[in-house]
Amino acid sequence: MSRLTDKLRAQKRTALIPFITAGDPTPNLTVPLMHALVDAGADIIELGIPFSDPMADGPVIQRASERALAAGTRLSDVLKMVKTFREQNQTTPVVLMGYLNPIEIMGYKSFVKSAQAAKVDGVLTVDLPPEEASEFCTLLRSHAIAPIFLLAPTTTPERIKRICAQTDGYLYYVSLKGVTGSANLDVTSVAEKVAEIRQYTKLPIGVGFGIKDAEMAAQIAQISDAVIVGSAIVQRIETEPQDKLLETIPAFLRELRQAMDGMTSNV
Amino acid sequence: MLKTNQNNPISRTRVKICGITRPQDALVAAKLGADAIGLVFYQKSPRAVTVEQAQAIIQALPAFVTVVGLFVNAEPTFVHGILAQLPLELLQFHGEESPEDCQQFAKPYIKALRMRPDVDVQAFAKRYTNAKALLLDTYVQGIKGGTGTVFDWQQVPTHLSKPIIIAGGLTPENVSQAITTLTPYAVDVSGGVESAKGIKDAEKMSAFMRGVSMSNIKSFTHQETSLPDAHGHFGIYGGIFVPETLMQPLEELRQAYEHYLKNAAFLAELNDDLHNFVGRPSPLYHAARWSQHLGGAQIYLKREDLNHTGAHKINNTVGQALLAKRMGKNRIIAETGAGQHGVASATVAARFGMECVVYMGAEDVKRQAINVYRMRLLGAQVRTVESGSKTLKDALNEAMRDWVTHVDNTFYIIGTVAGPHPYPAMVRDFQAVIGRETRQQIKVLTGRLPDFLIACVGGGSNAMGLFYPFLDEQDIAMYGVEAAGDGLDTGHHAAPLCAGKPGVLHGNRTYLMSDQDGQIIETHSISAGLDYPGVGPEHAWLKDTGRVKYVAVTDDEALAAFHDLTRMEGIMPALESSHALAYCKKIAPTLDKDKIIVINLSGRGDKDIHTVATLEGIKI
Repeated sequence: MSRLTDKLRAQKRTALIPFITAGDPTPNLTVPLMHALVDAGADIIELGIPFSDPMADGPVIQRASERALAAGTRLSDVLKMVKTFREQNQTTPVVLMGYLNPIEIMGYKSFVKSAQAAKVDGVLTVDLPPEEASEFCTLLRSHAIAPIFLLAPTTTPERIKRICAQTDGYLYYVSLKGVTGSANLDVTSVAEKVAEIRQYTKLPIGVGFGIKDAEMAAQIAQISDAVIVGSAIVQRIETEPQDKLLETIPAFLRELRQAMDGMTSNV
Repeated sequence: MLKTNQNNPISRTRVKICGITRPQDALVAAKLGADAIGLVFYQKSPRAVTVEQAQAIIQALPAFVTVVGLFVNAEPTFVHGILAQLPLELLQFHGEESPEDCQQFAKPYIKALRMRPDVDVQAFAKRYTNAKALLLDTYVQGIKGGTGTVFDWQQVPTHLSKPIIIAGGLTPENVSQAITTLTPYAVDVSGGVESAKGIKDAEKMSAFMRGVSMSNIKSFTHQETSLPDAHGHFGIYGGIFVPETLMQPLEELRQAYEHYLKNAAFLAELNDDLHNFVGRPSPLYHAARWSQHLGGAQIYLKREDLNHTGAHKINNTVGQALLAKRMGKNRIIAETGAGQHGVASATVAARFGMECVVYMGAEDVKRQAINVYRMRLLGAQVRTVESGSKTLKDALNEAMRDWVTHVDNTFYIIGTVAGPHPYPAMVRDFQAVIGRETRQQIKVLTGRLPDFLIACVGGGSNAMGLFYPFLDEQDIAMYGVEAAGDGLDTGHHAAPLCAGKPGVLHGNRTYLMSDQDGQIIETHSISAGLDYPGVGPEHAWLKDTGRVKYVAVTDDEALAAFHDLTRMEGIMPALESSHALAYCKKIAPTLDKDKIIVINLSGRGDKDIHTVATLEGIKI
């Protein structure tokens, strides 16, 4: 079993998965931030590959992409960051999350080789549905990297089955119809859909999009195997003073962790 | 000899309306364009007519409508008696008459064949060697004609030595399917257009005729290319590359599009709007002075600039808005660069009473203030996009984000042949009316098909619309003209096919302008409508197969062509279309005078006069 599934299976508590965009606000802060997130309770890290046209992202993560690109962050740099992170941390899984074009242009084979060398655990390509992904998935698997796919409120039972069959590691359930960082999450309908998905799979289910504070994280923690928080963190990276980010960001994560543990410790 | 089941693009399916009993019905049928009417001389039929009735009907008919007399196992003396009193032009034998029985009246005849399960159509055709055509009707035990049900169309052989007429259970709803499936010489309808037996309904006859004419248009686009495949691929291009939330809505859209593109009522409504609202057909104009000036080939302009709102864009927005209506979506969104597609979307939203939101990059809002105001006058909300490069590609991203968020009630009208499946195929099909009309018009004007087609390519919808109905004509050379901006070697251009490489953006795999890291780069063109880093996936495919040649002309060359056409023909072209004209200027002088070039004049240039004036240092 992969480091990714081990992590989610072995631990009793609901996992907390923070997302940050690689290179935001500057490339040299990314690895220190990753370590700080782990110290503050991150179980897995989702690292965003910046892209010029992030069509599934709300304004917060769009601007993070723009800052990272303006700072010169390239896909090869992102892979180097993971490699550097691994020098000190061999246990926390790292999942790359991004759009297909940079990976296509690098070439599937060289991307997968570099990702394996950097000990990337999983890859989630937002605009690559399973229908178009068979070649890429085969390559990822043969390099011990988990292909991770999204499930959405609009996903039909037939598609849930197909997507579960192509996914390793965990499933990422998009909690709402909208872009990242939206504010219309409905916990009841998320719970219903997660229950539906569980009929088709034994894979852990992470829930993301729209989890903006500790209270929401705690609620989602009760119904999922992992809580994924992106825009709420990236928003703070954007607004907090840059020289204090290694304190303010972990502090926010601890807040989420505590709220989640407080709710789940009674279970 | 005419092969019945092979598609001759210029042929049209004939229509016979049978079982007419009243002069007024005959008159309506003739007015709607029926080629023949049938009079039933078989007393057991509820639609039988007397000699007096028949005389009144024939008297009412205008010229050029064939009168067919229908008989069922009639005595020769009875038939002779009728022929002595009525000027019947064609006889139809609907019983068990032998070839000799049919021939004895020295009149042209057609023979009906009832389609029993074990029928041998080929043998029948050989036996009735003198019949003008075979009429295939449904077999129901004991009933001769007028059964009201269709037979199994799979029984009809694909190659037959006689023209076939399809009868039996045809209606306004299924006639286009019958024509698409069987490509018959003619269709025969009776009960399907009646309000009661023998009483024809004008509305139903009209709907039936619309079904026939639309399916004629469909049936000859049908065979040109089988692409895309079921998942929207044109070779390695196209496909569906979107976030999971949009997968199901795209599937619903695909199903609706495939359903309605074969639905006679939908096609009739679309056709009606293209005619009465858009103003189609657009003329095909011989630019004689410009041709003479260039000294070579004869140049014809397909005048899409004369459409309502001034460009080809409205062909597609009318189609998609009608589809949105059928799907129960009352909010439409669109992206726009120059504003032409935004205006076309706002226009149809006003026409159909829908809410409309248009996304437009902040840079374009500044450059195209008049179109922004135009959209607002039409009741649309224009949302300025401040992300990324603040141009068309970012407007497209923002429209996608809106769609993901409001997917339940919102229909996204993409303006070009790009995006996830089914958009590239759907927009092409809505724009293909350009090429279909051109085929007919050039034949009328010159007696033959053209030698060259030229169209500008941004996303590529006007080019696809012109090219598509000609793709199977291997003798016709096609040129797609991209924007070379300051020149392909300067990097300031918008020519992904000429200078880009394959990648994935906005839901499809296609040629893109991206940097070494796969980031989409900014484009440049004098023409806002061509200022886009991607291109429709079918163009990518046609480039790789070599079927279409893709070339590029610079801003300066386009601007010169803009002035040439304005001065020499009194037609002010859009700067987009001026790219196609500029390429024509390069090739026309090298060709013989009997060669024919058709250029898609995709839009008018009024919207560009500020750009042109500014470039030339003139203050208006």
